[in-house]
Amino acid sequence: MSTLEIGVKETLVAPWPEWARRATRGRRLLEAGTYALTEGAIAAGCRVFAGYPITPATDIAEYMSKRLPQVGGYYVQCEDELAGMHACAGASLGGLKAMTATSGPGFTLMHDAYGWAITNEIPLVVVDAMRVGPISGITGAPGQGEFYIARYASHGGNFETIVLSPSSVQEAFWLTIDAFNLAERFRTPVTILTDQVISDMWEDLFVPEDYDALDFVVPRRHNLMMPFYPVGSADLDVPPNVIGHGTGVCVSAYTHTEEGYDIEEMEAQWAQTYRLINKIRHHRDQLTRYETVGVEDAEVIAVAYGANARTVKTGVLEARRRGVRAGFVRLITLWPFPDELFARDLPYVVCELNYDGQLVREVMRSAPDGRTVRFMGKSAELHTVAEVAAGLEGVARNGRVPELPYIWTEVR
Amino acid sequence: MSDAPTKARTEILISGFGGQGVIRMGQILGLAAIKQGHRVTMLKSHGTETRGGYVRAQLVISPEYVDSPVVENADVFVAFSAPAYKKFFDFCRGKILYDPEMVEAIRPDAPERHVAVPATALAKERFNNVLFANMVMLGALTRLGGLDVEAMKKAMLEVIPRFHEQNLAALELGYTLPAVVPA
Amino acid sequence: MNKLAKKYLRPSQIPTKACHGCGIGMIENWLLQAIDEMGLKQDDVIFGTGIGCVGRQTFATWGGDNFGATHGRALAVATGLKLAQPDKKYLIVVGDGDAASIGTSHLIHAARRNLGVTVICEDNMGYESTGGQFSPTTPAGYVTNSSPYGMVEPGFDPCDVVKAAGATFVAETTATQWHQTVKIVKKALANDGFSFVHVRFPCNENFGAYALGTRDTLKNLEWIYEHTQGRKADGTETDFTWETGIKHDASNSRPEFSKVLRDMNARVRADLAARAGT
Repeated sequence: MSTLEIGVKETLVAPWPEWARRATRGRRLLEAGTYALTEGAIAAGCRVFAGYPITPATDIAEYMSKRLPQVGGYYVQCEDELAGMHACAGASLGGLKAMTATSGPGFTLMHDAYGWAITNEIPLVVVDAMRVGPISGITGAPGQGEFYIARYASHGGNFETIVLSPSSVQEAFWLTIDAFNLAERFRTPVTILTDQVISDMWEDLFVPEDYDALDFVVPRRHNLMMPFYPVGSADLDVPPNVIGHGTGVCVSAYTHTEEGYDIEEMEAQWAQTYRLINKIRHHRDQLTRYETVGVEDAEVIAVAYGANARTVKTGVLEARRRGVRAGFVRLITLWPFPDELFARDLPYVVCELNYDGQLVREVMRSAPDGRTVRFMGKSAELHTVAEVAAGLEGVARNGRVPELPYIWTEVR
Repeated sequence: MSDAPTKARTEILISGFGGQGVIRMGQILGLAAIKQGHRVTMLKSHGTETRGGYVRAQLVISPEYVDSPVVENADVFVAFSAPAYKKFFDFCRGKILYDPEMVEAIRPDAPERHVAVPATALAKERFNNVLFANMVMLGALTRLGGLDVEAMKKAMLEVIPRFHEQNLAALELGYTLPAVVPA
Repeated sequence: MNKLAKKYLRPSQIPTKACHGCGIGMIENWLLQAIDEMGLKQDDVIFGTGIGCVGRQTFATWGGDNFGATHGRALAVATGLKLAQPDKKYLIVVGDGDAASIGTSHLIHAARRNLGVTVICEDNMGYESTGGQFSPTTPAGYVTNSSPYGMVEPGFDPCDVVKAAGATFVAETTATQWHQTVKIVKKALANDGFSFVHVRFPCNENFGAYALGTRDTLKNLEWIYEHTQGRKADGTETDFTWETGIKHDASNSRPEFSKVLRDMNARVRADLAARAGT
């Protein structure tokens, strides 16, 4: 059963369908998500990986250790994740595109570096392959517990973040290039929030033959003059700062002036924050990526992201087959949160891989009536098609998700 | 649930102990399908030893993009161990290929769905090495599923780095087993 | 402003924000002297620092490119930066908190890798910017604002730690030893590898006031000097002695970290090219 057979409209808003049309020469492989994330990074021009191995992101480190020397890049196995992300920030400041990859326990160690990279507008990419928590949880099982942590990746507030989530191996490849592009254009770390299923899963993967010919890759540029920090401005496409070209740039942990000098004035705090928040908020139209199926005539819409979205999508089609006018929204851009996708006043059923309810709270906030938003939380395994179909059927017919084993529905 | 959601797709579930080449087998199957223009997903999972240890590959092969990669109703289930057979029996509605040396007792309710493939015994007997059991099984699965054996061989040579001759012979052996050759 | 400061520093960012009598500005002048005597230009040196007194007072004073990392992570940042900018000299000027406590694991591993940077650990024997708490380099038994009954932990010597980890140049000096410090820093910068220079200096406002009972700069400097000699002005022995000077000099004896990676890359790429050619 497919969307075609069901006769519903399928929409994907993302730059890569166009990229795929342009890059037609290449190889079709059976490879893992970790491989696609690695190759996407290499294709995007990543030349430094610094990190610490952790399941299920370890294979990215291993692939990088093999691939980077082949393309003149550097693999650094660091003493911990703190070092990993800081070293990536250092490499990026020196002019090289950089990436690190981790899972929850390592991700929480990176907040320090996130704050530094965000404040100093340093482009880099962080992959977080989520697993069940808290802490080490179940190492080999998927989770979606870092939805909010990825948004609030540092303490102190006063910033916005960009977080993307792929739901297939192929999409992981394109989305990694996209993440690097956005990091360059927005001068900020971009987080790829993936999960154990996508990172470990093998799938057919098209990889273009000649990375150098990919004209949609945003190349690294250097900002060689003042202002180093366009505080008070939301301008996009300001070239990143570079250390080592004698510009006299200053990079620090403090609230800064446009030269990068530390300053303890309320006005400077306002100007810096204006920049860090509005360079992202004012350009949301360039950031929002998503997929929808059958939303036009929907009476109920299932919402999901990442690996989980795949079984949820099949569940939506199954509900359609049972006569429920079900729609599907898959978020690819998680942050900034695409409120506009939930503008219609109808019941939303949010399926995510945690019991505490994270994505569901943002949907509740965005929807015209938060009371119509239903939660189907699951943990350690993807939702089954049967569960999703039953949930949608229940909400459409009786206004509630039926009781199902291991499905959590309480949010408040 | 009815058949409908999985019509356009073929679901294959392979499970056994670690070291039996379960993932390799899935990898070869998947690559062969890709080379024939199909879309493929393969989930691999591991149970820990303390819970009766298993390795599982869930393959979905489809002419179009595979949404759910989860095998909920396998068309074919390859059981390489008794714990795997017990654990995943209910996830299969089609044929069950099992290795009688590993799975000694089969469920009595559907004997016609079961096909005994003595892969381990044959591998020991012909190649003096149980490592080739997975290729015997893959050969049997190729025949039973009506898959292209030449494509399978090509994919196998790409995936497996060594012992090409024995692996090819093992695959051929499975492919020509009386149990899977249509009468 | 002196001649060296004019040549190398940023007029708008000096004098530093240090307290009266603080040794940080003085030591920075000595670093400039070493840089100048080596004939290095502003663009040859990347200046990195961290958090605390040393981070706050030295950040953005250097006229060239510079960074102030999060607390403890200056060497982690430098590890990545060195890959991208291998030809620069790196002066990583940090305090005892950055080097010997919150960032010690990065210090150890930078030493192990022989990362091509010179770490100047300016040690005021405690956390002075937060008001004077003890650190791992506070002498045991001394009173600070978080050891009102005397510090009960043993301290450690960061020179021993980095030497054991594989640093190729290790030296110890103090704010009372001008010429020795300049000589040592020059040697450190000449090493294409990991150099560690431990420089003790007094904090008058906290360590001086609480541990030594005086805010008098000269008296605090004298206390440091006495401990380098093992003998007080009145001829009696000090409670302990700091041996200063070069502790370990294996300069240029093993390849620098970024060079190791570059060489490996060259090898890998040559192999690839050869295979593609056959």
